[in-house]
Amino acid sequence: MKGPGFFEADGRQMSKGAILLLMGPFFLLVFVAFLYPLGNLLSISVLEPTPTLANYERVFDNPIYATVLLRTFRIALLVSILSLVLSLPVAVLMANSRGPKAVLITACILLPFWSSVLVRTAAWAILLQRNGMVNGFLQAIGLTSEPLRLLYTQGAVVVAMTHVLMPFMVLPIYGALRNIPPAYNRAAAICGAGPLRTFWEVTLPLAMPGIIGGFILVFLTALGYFITPSLLGSPQEMMIATLISQQMRENLDWPFAAALVGVLTLIVTVITLIFSKVFQFDRMMGGRA
Amino acid sequence: MPQAASPHSKGALIEIRGLGKRFGSVVAVDDVSLTIDAGEFVALLGPSGSGKSTVLMSVAGFERPTAGQILIDGVDCTGLPPNKRNIGMVFQHYTLFPHLSVGDNVAFPLKMRGIGKAERRRQAEQALEVVRLSGYAERMPKQLSGGQQQRVALARAIVYNPRVLLMDEPLSALDKNLREEMQIEIKRLHAELGFTVVFVTHDQGEALTMADRIAILKAGRLQQVSPARSLYERPSNLFAAGFIGEMNILPVTWDGEKATFSNNQDIRLPAEALIEPIRPGAAVLAVRPERLSVAAPGEAGTWKATVRDVVYAGAGSLLITHLDDGSEVRLRMPSAGQANVRSGDTIGIRMPPEAVLLYPSGDAA
Repeated sequence: MKGPGFFEADGRQMSKGAILLLMGPFFLLVFVAFLYPLGNLLSISVLEPTPTLANYERVFDNPIYATVLLRTFRIALLVSILSLVLSLPVAVLMANSRGPKAVLITACILLPFWSSVLVRTAAWAILLQRNGMVNGFLQAIGLTSEPLRLLYTQGAVVVAMTHVLMPFMVLPIYGALRNIPPAYNRAAAICGAGPLRTFWEVTLPLAMPGIIGGFILVFLTALGYFITPSLLGSPQEMMIATLISQQMRENLDWPFAAALVGVLTLIVTVITLIFSKVFQFDRMMGGRA
Repeated sequence: MPQAASPHSKGALIEIRGLGKRFGSVVAVDDVSLTIDAGEFVALLGPSGSGKSTVLMSVAGFERPTAGQILIDGVDCTGLPPNKRNIGMVFQHYTLFPHLSVGDNVAFPLKMRGIGKAERRRQAEQALEVVRLSGYAERMPKQLSGGQQQRVALARAIVYNPRVLLMDEPLSALDKNLREEMQIEIKRLHAELGFTVVFVTHDQGEALTMADRIAILKAGRLQQVSPARSLYERPSNLFAAGFIGEMNILPVTWDGEKATFSNNQDIRLPAEALIEPIRPGAAVLAVRPERLSVAAPGEAGTWKATVRDVVYAGAGSLLITHLDDGSEVRLRMPSAGQANVRSGDTIGIRMPPEAVLLYPSGDAA
């Protein structure tokens, strides 16, 4: 969005020094806890054992790594799409609810945040195990006579990750929907648009910043997700984060792990840039058009 | 979905019959009946909470009345959703869709009616021309000034030739100059296109200058429906009298011929002073400040008053005076050619009997 920036907006005049002072701790944290270690890691990838690109060549030489990358993308995309499909109705319901109903729905969305990801993932392991609830149910209704192998599959990873990441989709969409003045719905209705048409022509486009924001958030988080895939996934169908961890902890091959991190970082950066170009990310984050 | 009306359609007849709307225990609209002729321009005027917006929203279909009926051209629309009513509407805050260009905004109702893209564009450009904004189709609403945005909203409301145009305080967000310009614009469109207009406002000046008839509402009830002139000159009750323009209101005793003030001075009133028959006893006398004039104190047929304040306002001046019993009387007069009256002076107030109206006391004030 053009116009005065945050610190110059109406009556908010701040000196450079004050801005630096306020932003300083944040930038310090980002540098010490993120940029420095990342730079360090990336330098390992090109400097060890000797200054070389051999580590990156290995990533692309062995097709198994490309397979892992592609699988990671596929799963992340699947999780994002599934989250979007499941989140949109919830967000719409939430945005249109008032009073106790709204509180209840919000609580349902936020409740998972009260427990750790590990606990939620473990819960899925219990549900999906051989003699777990899901298999019990499927057998009870006669859909299957033998317990199915649900745990340690890609399906288990996708379902559990969708569950864990859904709040990150619901909340931005809810925020965007909540920001749409109800007057637009009235204007659309008097122009001749029924409720569905209004949703499609007015509500959805105006909620797009939240939808895309949530999608990017879930997609990028899913790309580097570690706990859920490593606990629920099949070892034969690894995702990139699990692979990186394995290289570091089991093979102690830090330079190669660092090269994998480099590739992942590059891909995430490129995706973010493409999104921001195509959807004018900064304008969206600045609120409604 | 109804067909788009033909380009030479005129206004529709709107019949509001016994309209009522309750929100829980609160009665927002109470038994309002109003017939608006085809092509007529009616303003709904009232203080906030008077129910004027609820009446408009019921006509638009955004409020479901709890009693009564709304007929448009003889068709009962009471239960019809807004998107099936084929009505044009301009909202208080423009409500142009921010993600659509000006042209797409204006073409939106046509798109909803399944009209092809090229034809939509042509008709939208035509509507923009009507509101004097041709060439703005490619812009985004945000790039326009408030007045321009409201004109785009007007174009969007009329692009499909609706037979009814509803306006919900459409000018209240604009500054004074722009407001007057838009008033003229809306009157011109009304004259040219001939649709029926229902216009909600809390600005009595706007209602008086724009509307053929003004409907005054108070606490959900219709008080009076009249053309501007008779509303101003012969308000049907004390509320309407006090709501439109300024009015001096003085308690009197009525004996069937004369109204007697507390200082025992009296004034003989013509029969026209009574809007409705009033029984002898306590009554209320009402007279517009501009109908009073200053005379020498003690002159026959005048009332003694003491000047408290003289407010000079260019072309006109306002005199705030009080009578012996303390009741306040205001006078408005042209500044030029007036005797030099100062605060503290004693004057005589001349009150022409034909300028006086009499209301029953205890009438809703």
